[in-house]
Amino acid sequence: MAQLFPEWSNRVPRLLLVGSVLLITSIVFFFWHFGSHEFLEVGYAPQQPIDYSHRLHAGELGLDCRYCHASVEVSAVASIPSTQTCMNCHTQVLPESDKLALLRESWTEGTAIEWVKVHDLPDYVQFNHSSHVNVGVGCSSCHGRVDRMEVVMQAEPMSMGWCLDCHNNPGPSLRPLDQVTNMSWVAPVNQFELAADIISKKNIAPPIYCNACHY
Amino acid sequence: MSTAQPNTYWRSLNELSHNDEYKRFVDREFQANATELTDGYSRRNFLQIMGASIALAGFAACRKPIQKILPYSRQPEFVVAGNPLFYATAIPFRGAVTGLVVQTHEGRPTKVEGNELHPDSLGGTNVLQQATILDLYDPDRSRNILLGGESKTVAEFSAFCAEFFTSGKRVAFLSEATSSQTVSRIRRSLSSRFANSTWVTYEPFGEENALLGTQTVFGSKLRAIPQYDKANVVVSFDNDFMSSGPDSVRAAKLFAKRKKVMSTQDDMNRLYVVESNYSLTGSNAEHRVRVKSSEVAQVAFALAAAVGADGFSGYSNAHSSHDILNQMAADLRAQNGAAVVVAGDDQPVSVHAAVAAINVAIGSVGNGVTYAALPFTDSANQNEAFTKLISDLKAGSYDALVMVGTNPVYTAPADVDVKGALSAVGTVVHLSTHVDETSAALPATGWHVNRAHFLEAWGDGLSYTGAESVIQPLIQPLFGGLSDIEVLNLIATGTFTAGHDLVKTTWGTADWREVLHDGLRKGTSFRAEAARTASGAGQAVRSLADGAASVDGIEIVFKPDSKIYDGRFANNGWLMELPDPITKITWDNVALMSPATAGQFGVEYPRSSILRAPADEEPMVSITSNGNTVELAIWVVPGHADDSITVYTGYGRTHSGRVGSGQGVDVHPLRTSGSPLFTSGTVTKSSNTYSIASTQDHHSMEGRPLIREATLVAYKANPTFAPDLVKVPGPIDDNGQAISLFNEQTFPEREPQWGMTIDLNACTGCGVCTIACQAENNIPVIGKNEVRRGREMHWIRVDRYFSGDVNGNPQIVHQPIPCMHCELAPCEQVCPVAATTHSDDGLNQMTYNRCIGTRYCANNCPFKVRRFNFFNYPKTFLTEGTDPEVVQMAMNPDVTVRFRGVIEKCTYCVQRLSRAKIESKRETNSVKPKDGSVKTACQQACPSDAIYFGDLTDSNSTVVQTKRNERNYLLLEELNIRPRTSYMAKLRNPNEATA
Repeated sequence: MAQLFPEWSNRVPRLLLVGSVLLITSIVFFFWHFGSHEFLEVGYAPQQPIDYSHRLHAGELGLDCRYCHASVEVSAVASIPSTQTCMNCHTQVLPESDKLALLRESWTEGTAIEWVKVHDLPDYVQFNHSSHVNVGVGCSSCHGRVDRMEVVMQAEPMSMGWCLDCHNNPGPSLRPLDQVTNMSWVAPVNQFELAADIISKKNIAPPIYCNACHY
Repeated sequence: MSTAQPNTYWRSLNELSHNDEYKRFVDREFQANATELTDGYSRRNFLQIMGASIALAGFAACRKPIQKILPYSRQPEFVVAGNPLFYATAIPFRGAVTGLVVQTHEGRPTKVEGNELHPDSLGGTNVLQQATILDLYDPDRSRNILLGGESKTVAEFSAFCAEFFTSGKRVAFLSEATSSQTVSRIRRSLSSRFANSTWVTYEPFGEENALLGTQTVFGSKLRAIPQYDKANVVVSFDNDFMSSGPDSVRAAKLFAKRKKVMSTQDDMNRLYVVESNYSLTGSNAEHRVRVKSSEVAQVAFALAAAVGADGFSGYSNAHSSHDILNQMAADLRAQNGAAVVVAGDDQPVSVHAAVAAINVAIGSVGNGVTYAALPFTDSANQNEAFTKLISDLKAGSYDALVMVGTNPVYTAPADVDVKGALSAVGTVVHLSTHVDETSAALPATGWHVNRAHFLEAWGDGLSYTGAESVIQPLIQPLFGGLSDIEVLNLIATGTFTAGHDLVKTTWGTADWREVLHDGLRKGTSFRAEAARTASGAGQAVRSLADGAASVDGIEIVFKPDSKIYDGRFANNGWLMELPDPITKITWDNVALMSPATAGQFGVEYPRSSILRAPADEEPMVSITSNGNTVELAIWVVPGHADDSITVYTGYGRTHSGRVGSGQGVDVHPLRTSGSPLFTSGTVTKSSNTYSIASTQDHHSMEGRPLIREATLVAYKANPTFAPDLVKVPGPIDDNGQAISLFNEQTFPEREPQWGMTIDLNACTGCGVCTIACQAENNIPVIGKNEVRRGREMHWIRVDRYFSGDVNGNPQIVHQPIPCMHCELAPCEQVCPVAATTHSDDGLNQMTYNRCIGTRYCANNCPFKVRRFNFFNYPKTFLTEGTDPEVVQMAMNPDVTVRFRGVIEKCTYCVQRLSRAKIESKRETNSVKPKDGSVKTACQQACPSDAIYFGDLTDSNSTVVQTKRNERNYLLLEELNIRPRTSYMAKLRNPNEATA
């Protein structure tokens, strides 16, 4: 009697087993990777209504972050500057530039410029800038090298796990208070001692309970 | 525990009898229908719908929706994004203003607090003031000036005013009570410009009777200003001064000062209340005399005779022989003037006259009470002036009628034909926030002018005690409304002047900035009058007394509702859903009566079928009076006077808006100008039934010793009566606490440890904590049907317990119940996803984004304080309707808005704690804020300072002092769950002579 199944069919169970393992793994990997903050959030750089360059202003011209983001030390939000802040310089500098037409319109008409939010946390997260910058967490620790960005881009995943990495071990992200807005600050060789000193001086114990951020 | 616990406490008549219905009701953790989705879709197809929406949503949701940030063009001074600002202003109500401090987020008012600098607020608020934020953002408010239904611009209205209101026109002004100095100033130019004009102040429940009463005794209209903090003994004749009247905040503050018993050395005041309906004030009385409302006068006269008041020598009536009356008189006389007798605005002139005579006789004038002349009052009787005005209007005596606020078509007595007057006069201007019943009844030549909310417009006024206060707007009019002073000025001058300029003209500029900062001109108040008895006053009062008649048979008593008042707040969902302090009824009015009176209609208590299963409905009575009949549900209130039925006004409105229209029953048809306070009528049992949403049995803790109270004397004999009542069983550990099976929480030393104490002796039960919490924490309004299913969302509820004789005069104790933040919280043990856990600062935290909605925690909570979002209430509330952005503006940006399917509960206002900790860290390098620098919303709003809150690790903090107090006890201590919220036992100070 001829064989009902060809010889290769002996391999089918094995192939099915290996194949389903691969399939399940790839599905898990698919969601794990493509659903992650690293994939979805990092690199988000939406087009803004005005081609404002942080590379020019913060990098080449060396404006301090707090010149525009004035409330960062006293409020939960760093705040986007009012048109007035821009016009402090732009009544003198490039007052006729085409690129600044929207800015001048906002200034004369009193309308708001609709900036697109880049770093957007979920509504159930209450993040406070002042509690971070006042203990030595630098701007670039979360926002990356903004002074090198032509268009602002999200540099870090800003997921809860990423937050907790630092809340569990704040040392590596701390710097002296006068260096908070320094974009090019790099950890010195004695960062460990430096951080220990800041932690004891500023009484740092980052909360890791839910209500610290979720309420 | 001998004398301390003589009472059993019950919340409803069914609980008292413990009948089958009640057992079935409380046997379930959640009442029947609370946990089922019975509306439209079943649980099964609900999942299908969910599945479909997920499939449709697909991967479109991978990227969050784009959000915009809109910075200012020009940065306003002082505004720091993310940090709220606070401005002083004042809220006008019934001719008196109360100082407020209002929080704004980037120019958007979100929360009202009392102004500590203001003598009539002293930092507290009442429910009406807390809820006014929702009135501001009411999308049903009128948005246009209307002429015969056609919308017009302000310019067109101005042109009309300039053209029509020429000098010499006969103009009638009908205004709600106002104490505004600017209105008084404009009135002077109005009366010179329109020589034949008249100005009538109309309030359906105003203080006119009180003023006429003092006029009888002192010869001129004087306002009685009780000084409750100086009074050892207070006697109230049907005066619910702790509820929501114009003086309620100051009254509650001063009264509570005399109820703060912090040690056995302290004494407290004593309150006698004579009333028919069980009022909030009555529930706080040591001695409550239960008489028909129409007989309150007789008791007042008998007391006047007993204290020897002028004109009452030789007077006696049926009440004179009662023991309580003579003891009351002896108690009043013994205080050397440190006592006060007050009468309610809903009592006739004769009672107010008798009360004034009593106050003179016991020497309390200038001590327990002061009398002040009001600069804005007309000497004529305004109640009579109103009925005369309406008949004059019908007779054509006036060319035009200008109504500033007021809604007379709805609120006027039934025999006063306001509609007829409106169509007779033709030219009418009605300034109103809504297109209400009066605006809808305007003739084709009638102007409806949309009125600005007080938070949108400049104004001013005098407080109840006469503090000159300024009403500072916090936002531009949302719907372009005009204020009363702007409209009156337009009529007086023909040109439009902004409210700010009008107010500033009145006030001058010298101390303007200081006035704006404080909200008032400091040190101003009414001058206390000598208040000498006028000659012949005795005879005048006596003849009033001799002429007074009470209602034979069953009387119908009209009272303004404690929440929506005369209907003017009917479109406010927070107020509508706030349970009444005594009946715990939401969304409706009923016929309140005693068990005996209900028995006359064949309604026996306890009934076999009761409540809350949707099919069960209340029996109704039909009340006929004045030729009109209304039907109301019967609601039995133990302690209500027999042969008396109390009905609340303000319900059954037809033009209130989406919330208020059609809720409850309009009882105004029963009211006549001849008997506006109480009337006789025929009452019969109706065959109809009606469903009522009452929360009195919801969240029952089933007869455990939750309420602990004693008399002052018993407390002094045994100061620790309350904590001694319950002992935690089992061995004690090294820290002196009973050992627990569960892992003890460990709290790091650097963190503050939050705790709360609620003083049941100070708490009046008014419910302002509930509204303040709702405003602060974005708690949704869910509607009558959902409340009937027991799904109300309030994070802090006020339980009301009766004790004593159900057919006689039972006592009431109020107990606010927020989350107890147990250190060994039972809810945390059962959550399968760790969505509720403990924080380092001792909070039982609820993490919405983790919650999957099993509701195990709510099952396991012994205090029943956890609330579940059965539907996506905020979505209905905030994203549907014509103008969702308007309602969104009322939300507190510091608190997450919860989605369907998550549990929520009191957080101790963690957003406030977090802000305070961050600020403290910045300033002092420690996350422990200074004592008193952070208050929870309920604590801040409470007008009787009954709630203490603070850091338990700070041994000098106020909250630690209260925790060490002898009266401090824990609820359900025997469960060893270590609640962070504790209670100070209630004390009463009865007159020993009555024992």
